[in-house]
Amino acid sequence: MAASNAKCTRLTGSLVKQLLDSVDSVLFDCDGVIWRGDQAIPGAPDVINLLKKNGKRVFFVTNNSTKTRKMYADKLATLGFNASEEEVFGTAYCSAMYLKSVAKIQGKVYLVGSNAMKQEIENVGIQTTGVGPDPISGVQIDWANVSLDPEVKAVVVGFDQHFSYMKLNRALQYLCNPSCLFVGTNTDTRLPLEGEKAVPGTGCLVKAVETAAQRPAQVVGKPSNFMFDCVAKQFGLDPARALMVGDRLDTDIMLGTNCGLKTLLTLTGVSTVADAEDHLKSGCPNRAGMVPDYYIDTIAELLPALQG
Amino acid sequence: MAGKVGTRGCKKIRGAQIRDLLDSKHNVLFDCDGVIWNGETVVAGAPEVVTLLKQQGKRVFFVTNNCTRPRENYVQKFSRLGFTDVVEEEIFSSAYCSAAYLRDVAKVQGKVFVIGCHGVQKELQDAGVPIVEDVSDGPDVSIYNFPLEPDVKAVLVGYDERFTFMKLAKACCYLKNSDCLFLATDPDPWHPLRGGRITPGSGSLTAALETASSRKATVIGKPSRFMFECIASQFDLDPARSLMIGDRLETDILFGANCGLDTMLTLTGVSTMEEAQQYRDSDASEKKDFVPDYVVETIGDFLQALED
Repeated sequence: MAASNAKCTRLTGSLVKQLLDSVDSVLFDCDGVIWRGDQAIPGAPDVINLLKKNGKRVFFVTNNSTKTRKMYADKLATLGFNASEEEVFGTAYCSAMYLKSVAKIQGKVYLVGSNAMKQEIENVGIQTTGVGPDPISGVQIDWANVSLDPEVKAVVVGFDQHFSYMKLNRALQYLCNPSCLFVGTNTDTRLPLEGEKAVPGTGCLVKAVETAAQRPAQVVGKPSNFMFDCVAKQFGLDPARALMVGDRLDTDIMLGTNCGLKTLLTLTGVSTVADAEDHLKSGCPNRAGMVPDYYIDTIAELLPALQG
Repeated sequence: MAGKVGTRGCKKIRGAQIRDLLDSKHNVLFDCDGVIWNGETVVAGAPEVVTLLKQQGKRVFFVTNNCTRPRENYVQKFSRLGFTDVVEEEIFSSAYCSAAYLRDVAKVQGKVFVIGCHGVQKELQDAGVPIVEDVSDGPDVSIYNFPLEPDVKAVLVGYDERFTFMKLAKACCYLKNSDCLFLATDPDPWHPLRGGRITPGSGSLTAALETASSRKATVIGKPSRFMFECIASQFDLDPARSLMIGDRLETDILFGANCGLDTMLTLTGVSTMEEAQQYRDSDASEKKDFVPDYVVETIGDFLQALED
């Protein structure tokens, strides 16, 4: 167990087994942790499969809103991970859970998002409107007078490659009613992709709507506690005996810290050890949550302890 | 006079007080929306006020963040609404000033990638600033795979009813080069239309791009000083003898304060007397610049002062 002042320690040698023995559940982020794009991180499937063989419970917690749990389960299976739908917590599913069990909305959702989001939200019995292309027509005054569905009780914003001025406008018109809820899936600024590509992330779309409507979205994804609460409620997790493994200090590690989990940074993704040490040296209380207990070059380094 | 102290401000004036104020000023700068017109409805008395000011030897300028039309269209709108003597040279829109900035201040060598409506593009073309052609993408093009123009040295974002995810993605790629300038026409999060309706403004699109690129835009429009500097580069303006009249505390009044002008809030637009008083009574020192020196119900009240 990490002492409160021993942070950002390289996980090596006997520490690996010590850490794994101290937890019953391991939560993994996906992009940059167990896979990159459509390729598994070498050794990652073995890690997950061995953890399960060793009696640990394994969950996948991702801010990506473009896949349903079923789609994630299919991807996991294709890449050799022994995992089931119930173990996956993406923001499409978690947003639907939020709307149903926390916000308890009675009515429809105006959805700026993917078909996956539409499916997950409709799966919990909430109707959606708005998915797909929405080109502009008419003149300025027409946009302010665009017809609104009176049953819409919430605006939900997730990743949407069809994002357009008209969608931004419709979202704004609904949000002019102060009792209309405003939910965002996550605030990541870029999509995680290979190489030099830097596709804008959902955070940009949420920011556009927040700016126009002059109010903040309720964000479901990491580092909001809700993603962990979702898992914990369904599976009765004890945070003190759970480990969060991620590649981003501001989402994965922050979530882990906020929910009282042990945290492990893997270096196959976005954040670096230097980033973590910067946060640690800053002495700033707001940044302390982003310092992981441990770090590792790749989760494959857990294998020796699991195979031993 | 510039150089005010204490809890001054929000002084409601009429009649002789307006006359005395105007006597001390040589230049009067008017915002447009909410000051001289609302949509296609002129503010009663506004055309006569402009004519009388000019007859008394004052210089009149129109300073607007609204970039939806080029200056020549503004001249037509002035004429349509009964203003008989407004010429193009007196009109300073954020689109016109953005073009002037790119050509005369930044002296950009290369092309500009524009996210903007026709009004924005026309001003750049009129100023002789080369822009990337807005062509439709072929069938192979997607948000993950698109061609980039070489030699793009600036990105300008303004009001764009044809805004799409693809434009956001392209702009984000251009902005990865730190030598590529990042400009925004104006910061307004929403624009008011007739009947209290609003539509998303340039500010919301800029926020999306700032989030995607992790860069801050240089904003040309009010409250930034640049539009005043643009006017001053063409006309000899003494700030001490200039008055800024607007309806939006966060843009017009702050603009006036930033440029060392006396400021007047007119109540025919967005901001209210109560909001102005709240800024005046606030403890935060930065709020002082949102407080107008003077307040009038409508600029139509100038008639009584000018006709004597």
